[in-house]
Amino acid sequence: MSVESSPLGAAPPERLLRRASKKLVELYLARDLLAQLVAKELKVRYKNSTLGFLWSMLTPVLMTAVFAVIFTYVVRIPVADFAAFFLSGYLLWQFFQNSCQGAIHSVVGNGDLVKKVYFPREVLPLSHVLSQLVHLLLALLVVSPYLVYTRGWSVLTHLPLTLGAMGILALFASGVAMWFAGVNVVFRDLQELFIVIFLVWFYATPVLYPLALVRSGWAGDAADWLATALQFNPMTWFVEMFRVPLYGEVTVNPAFGPGADPVVAPVISAGPGVPSATVVLVAIAWALAAVLVGYVVFSRRARTFAKEV
Amino acid sequence: MSRRTIGQLAGVNVDPSMPAVVVDGVTETFRLFHERPGGLKERLYRLRRSSYTDFNALEDVSFTIDHGESVAVIGHNGSGKSTLLKILARILPPDEGTAWTNGRVASLLELGAGFHGDLTGRENIYLNGAILGLTRAEVAERFDEIVDFAGIRPLLDTAVRTYSSGLYVRLGFAIAVTVDPDILLVDEVLAVGDAEFQDRSLGRMKEFRDRGKTFVLVSHDLDAVREMCDRAIVLDRGRVVFDGPVAEGVELYRQRVASSVVRQGARPRGTGRVRVEETLLLGPDGHPVDEVMPSTPLTFRVRVRATDDVEACSVGLTVTRGDGTHLYELHTIWQGVGVGPLVPDQEAVVDLRFTAHLLAGHYGVTATVTDDRGRETWAVAPDAARFAVATVPGGAGLVNLAASTSVSEGPALRLGTESVTGPIPVSRLERRRREQ
Repeated sequence: MSVESSPLGAAPPERLLRRASKKLVELYLARDLLAQLVAKELKVRYKNSTLGFLWSMLTPVLMTAVFAVIFTYVVRIPVADFAAFFLSGYLLWQFFQNSCQGAIHSVVGNGDLVKKVYFPREVLPLSHVLSQLVHLLLALLVVSPYLVYTRGWSVLTHLPLTLGAMGILALFASGVAMWFAGVNVVFRDLQELFIVIFLVWFYATPVLYPLALVRSGWAGDAADWLATALQFNPMTWFVEMFRVPLYGEVTVNPAFGPGADPVVAPVISAGPGVPSATVVLVAIAWALAAVLVGYVVFSRRARTFAKEV
Repeated sequence: MSRRTIGQLAGVNVDPSMPAVVVDGVTETFRLFHERPGGLKERLYRLRRSSYTDFNALEDVSFTIDHGESVAVIGHNGSGKSTLLKILARILPPDEGTAWTNGRVASLLELGAGFHGDLTGRENIYLNGAILGLTRAEVAERFDEIVDFAGIRPLLDTAVRTYSSGLYVRLGFAIAVTVDPDILLVDEVLAVGDAEFQDRSLGRMKEFRDRGKTFVLVSHDLDAVREMCDRAIVLDRGRVVFDGPVAEGVELYRQRVASSVVRQGARPRGTGRVRVEETLLLGPDGHPVDEVMPSTPLTFRVRVRATDDVEACSVGLTVTRGDGTHLYELHTIWQGVGVGPLVPDQEAVVDLRFTAHLLAGHYGVTATVTDDRGRETWAVAPDAARFAVATVPGGAGLVNLAASTSVSEGPALRLGTESVTGPIPVSRLERRRREQ
């Protein structure tokens, strides 16, 4: 019986469900390995640097400073506390991009290991997502005083919602990370394309600007198609979901219109709140779809990793 | 308790009613691209024309291994041994056929795979243990054992990139052997480390085998194979050509090594001025022989033909064991005899007489023609003749020293005719010597 349950060859499709549940058991058994790999990622990154974790805060802090100056004094984006607004989206974005960037090399870079030892290959990309999740938590800890200072104490009371949003995003990131890791083994150009893909994706995600600003028609009616297009970007939903409890919802000002007084702001920034059910449901749907597609692509590729790495 | 249930679910617990390993009709194909794919340009190129050849590393391989068996997989380089081991270790899925393993599998395919240079010894023990499938608690339990076996206690909190390569491998081995699997797969790792460490690792594996666990070893060290395993599977170009007792398997492999050398170089080579026309191995009665008793006088007859004017040349022979070990070499010039002068197309027949003071096994004789100072090789006929030495009661080892025994003082007893006939593995002899 237990022999039957560990076939190494091709399984017929009717066993797919059984295989999937076996995989989950296998991943559960590999949780210690996953924990060790995450610890490795974190240790290795900061082992030889004196500033350690502070380095990972340097990028978001500098980016925030630069963007805050530009988009407050040069090109004004009419949101309250632009720095807090940007940080609350950018930390999330950084988590997502760094997870994928780490994962894309995870299988190819561990070629020796993949060729010599058997373990569930999924742990390689997943360890990057999880170690980045730890970074995100630490980064939130560091910036939370600033967020509390600018957005009020309700940032803290909405913390469970922020953590929940991070959980859903972590699922989505796992799926995308597995896809990148699996495809990169057979299509190495992906790692070159990666930078471009993520640069475009970054600007196509409302991190720098609120989605409501696009919707408000502030830049003219021509931006209507853009507001629609942005909704097809899954990251739009995650940023919206994450930002509401951390910074607050940005909505279109009903008083703003073509004939309105120029002093009327196009958008209103509210304090931290609860994200709408639609946003959460769409985000969950995206997360599940990403995990499913990412996992299927990854596990199909994983069968022959040892030959192709 | 809950872990055990999970273990059964995942099929990592042993079912004693089934064999340990079942391999059924396994074929593994590697696609050899003539130009490495993986880039966009190559991808686009391949859309038009694919440029690769398929190569079967394994072809229709089937066998069953029972619990507690110790099996050696031997074969030439490229015969598919390592591929087979990787399939058993689940690193590669078979392209055709199925392979089942029953119980927890651990593979020693490479020691220290997955070590990270920047982490300390302590951290790497936990990381590597996890990679090999141990839980954190299991590693913690065996931590002291690992540290003592590897002998790294003073360096425990030093980054492993500062370790010597020997230390690195020792730590890798120490972690790997504590996995305590039901099935252990080992690939050539015995060849690393100093003699003392090799002894200890061999000891560890024997202990493992003697506890009734299943053991699969891939090695070129035929002595180690003979010592460690009961059964041998011989692979040749991806096919099983032998599956049976280890002594027979090793002997067959030795012969195949010898015969493949002959196949490759059967045609006498040489750019020199003398050709080897014919070689004959003659027994004491002057007739060609291929199997002899130990200590039979033999004559190696070499007929050479000059292709140019030759002042003088030297004809020689080299006797090798089936696995290529150099046993004896002799040239006529060493005995002060030159062959010549020869004019073009003139022939000469040279007899090289020697006595086969050898024990049971397969041997080859190579003929060489050199200039009269033995500096320039003019012609070589590799393994021009082969012969086997029959198994007879007598001594053990590599050569026949034709010993006899007697009790010169005190009472003696006739115990019968029990005697050892086969050569004892060299590694065992060396170990005995060290232990004294």
